[in-house]
Amino acid sequence: MDIIVPIKQVPETSKVRMDPNTGVMIREGVESIINPLDLYAIEAALQLAEGCGGRTTALSMGPAKAEAAVREAIAMGCTEGVLLSHRSFAGSDTWATSFALSLAIRKRGAFDLILCGERATDGDTGQVGPGIAAWLGLPVVTYVSRILECGPRAVVVRRMIEEGYETLEAELPCVLTVVKEAAYPRLPTLRGKQRARAATVPVWGPEDIGAPAESLGLKGSPTRVVKVESPSLARHGDVRTPKDPAELERAVDGIVDYLERLGLT
Amino acid sequence: MSAPCQRLTPALLDELRQIVGPRFVIAGDPEQLQPYSHDEVAEEEYHALPEAVVRPQSADEIARILKLANRERIPVTPRGGGSGLSGGAVPVCGGIVLSLDRMNRILEIDVENLCAVVEPGVITNDLDAAARERGLFFAGYPMSLQSCFIGGNVAENAGGGKAVKYGVTGRYILGLQVVTPEGEIAEFGGKLVKNVTGYDMIGLLVGSEGTLGVFTKIVVKLLPRPTRVVDLLALFPDPETAIRAVPAIMTGARIIPTAIEFMDRLSAHTACRYLNEQLPYEQAGAMLLIELDGNDAAQLEVQYQAVGELCMEKGAIEVYVADNATTQERIWSVRRNIAEAFMVVSPHQSLEDITVPVAAIPAIMPVLEDLSRRYDISIPCYGHAGDGNLHVTPVKNPAHTLEQWHAMLPRILAELYRAAHDLGGVISGEHGIGHKRKAYLHYSLDPASVDLMKRVKRALDPNNILNPGKIFDLP
Repeated sequence: MDIIVPIKQVPETSKVRMDPNTGVMIREGVESIINPLDLYAIEAALQLAEGCGGRTTALSMGPAKAEAAVREAIAMGCTEGVLLSHRSFAGSDTWATSFALSLAIRKRGAFDLILCGERATDGDTGQVGPGIAAWLGLPVVTYVSRILECGPRAVVVRRMIEEGYETLEAELPCVLTVVKEAAYPRLPTLRGKQRARAATVPVWGPEDIGAPAESLGLKGSPTRVVKVESPSLARHGDVRTPKDPAELERAVDGIVDYLERLGLT
Repeated sequence: MSAPCQRLTPALLDELRQIVGPRFVIAGDPEQLQPYSHDEVAEEEYHALPEAVVRPQSADEIARILKLANRERIPVTPRGGGSGLSGGAVPVCGGIVLSLDRMNRILEIDVENLCAVVEPGVITNDLDAAARERGLFFAGYPMSLQSCFIGGNVAENAGGGKAVKYGVTGRYILGLQVVTPEGEIAEFGGKLVKNVTGYDMIGLLVGSEGTLGVFTKIVVKLLPRPTRVVDLLALFPDPETAIRAVPAIMTGARIIPTAIEFMDRLSAHTACRYLNEQLPYEQAGAMLLIELDGNDAAQLEVQYQAVGELCMEKGAIEVYVADNATTQERIWSVRRNIAEAFMVVSPHQSLEDITVPVAAIPAIMPVLEDLSRRYDISIPCYGHAGDGNLHVTPVKNPAHTLEQWHAMLPRILAELYRAAHDLGGVISGEHGIGHKRKAYLHYSLDPASVDLMKRVKRALDPNNILNPGKIFDLP
């Protein structure tokens, strides 16, 4: 079984602050990590490969430092990694990103399965996985909570839906995006880190994947960011601290009136 | 000179209200006083209600309160964040609890002199956060840093996870303003690295458990903050193998880690189950959590590789590497949640912190196994392997009655403390004596030493009004 896991490097969100004036994320001094939701895809891929033999490839697109994310995936156990990195990729939206990734996957050659995280914690769109499937003309199953059977010609998965779960079968090769339930990610080991350090991570640019310049980066991205704003918190509290029974009575009446006005009584 | 037991009269309460303002005296309502009756020692026999809680805002107010207490022979118990583990802040003789929560200002972060001047009620984490903004940090790092006060850290000479490399709180206290038990304001030290002018009073006051003075201003030494941290979680087949790796790391790799935390099988497995952690912990008979810090990623990588290799060489089954916030939080949460996980097993437990010479740690393990078997209870053991400070925690067997537990605990502790002493250790490394361990003080100190300490206490606090009933009883 040959599995490709597209991953993204994201800022460690628990430490991210927003610039109150521009609404843009302050990236200085913020650590970069593998998108936490991609870890579940990596783990699911490793378990499949361990179960039936095979290899796993971590594939990422990003700036040069995203190589650290690819190496971390190798440290976790991925067989190899590839990084798409070139300034012409900068500013890609989900359309251009999934296009570039699909070209890289084509170039890499035959495979059985593409396993993606549900979405990235920074962009939050969940579009790249299905986008790759669209460009490659493959079936896609999103929100997979469990891989029940895999191979050699099809995969049977449990998919999370609003009312519960559904069980689907898809022909291989296909694209799956997994949710947290799918697998519990392992930690990188010392030996894994050593292997990752020694590994050669090829860095591919537009020529390597045969990408036309007009389909890349900002130029190839139909998405336009018109405005970024942080929503203001509209909730506010109204605390009454009555000092005597009469005031208490009035305060309670006030609350009842308020609830009545809202039609909540 | 017995413990003062005079009661607070309405007139005295009024006098206290005049000193600090009526809003800052709590008296009468047991429900409001209850939070001040205990620290983090859960067992109720170590709790005691104060008659009043007074919340001053200045050294001057504290001086006036202590003068009043001396005049009227009212016991006064200083209180920080209430996160202690020896009952230090518990008013065992009643009287006044002196809460320092309103004295919570960071007065100065002095970058040029690498120090901070703070009031005692500053939460340790807030001090560290303020230092962080200037690229500095406070290296005394207690585990309860999100709730404890710096004043309490100084009073207990708190240790914690980073003591292997950075030492304990006392190492970072450069100056103290203190209100003496008799209500005089005295200042020792300052923004000075070297100072041998007179007796080392700071050394005496640090770790005095609130019995020799009330700190009102503290000069804290800060260090340049390391920019990078890597944690290793090493799984070993048994505690002996794990512990034997500790000196090997320091001498073999010639690296002093920031922390070397030890978890025995019971601690690690219980915490992992509690957290639903899916690491293959079942095969581990013990774990070491090793933290390294530095500023250069490449150098740190060389160091963690060396330490990791040594662990493998010394018999580790597996070594996990956490070099980002996500994975680091994951492995530290195992260590941090041990106590919490055992609260689910049984709320009746005695969190101990014996300290033995590092090389004697393997020798304590059979003692714990023997105790555990003879008394039919669990005794998880975890803690700071790098400095020999172990949280041996007898936990009540749910099948035993409370009476059985209360009858056996003193015997278990006595045996434990005797074993620690025989190995060259002491009964407490960082939690302190308070009233929880005072009956066992003789396991660590001979009569002449205790007598000397009592004479110091009498000289500084002739009426024995400041935190009486702690460390030892005065006749």
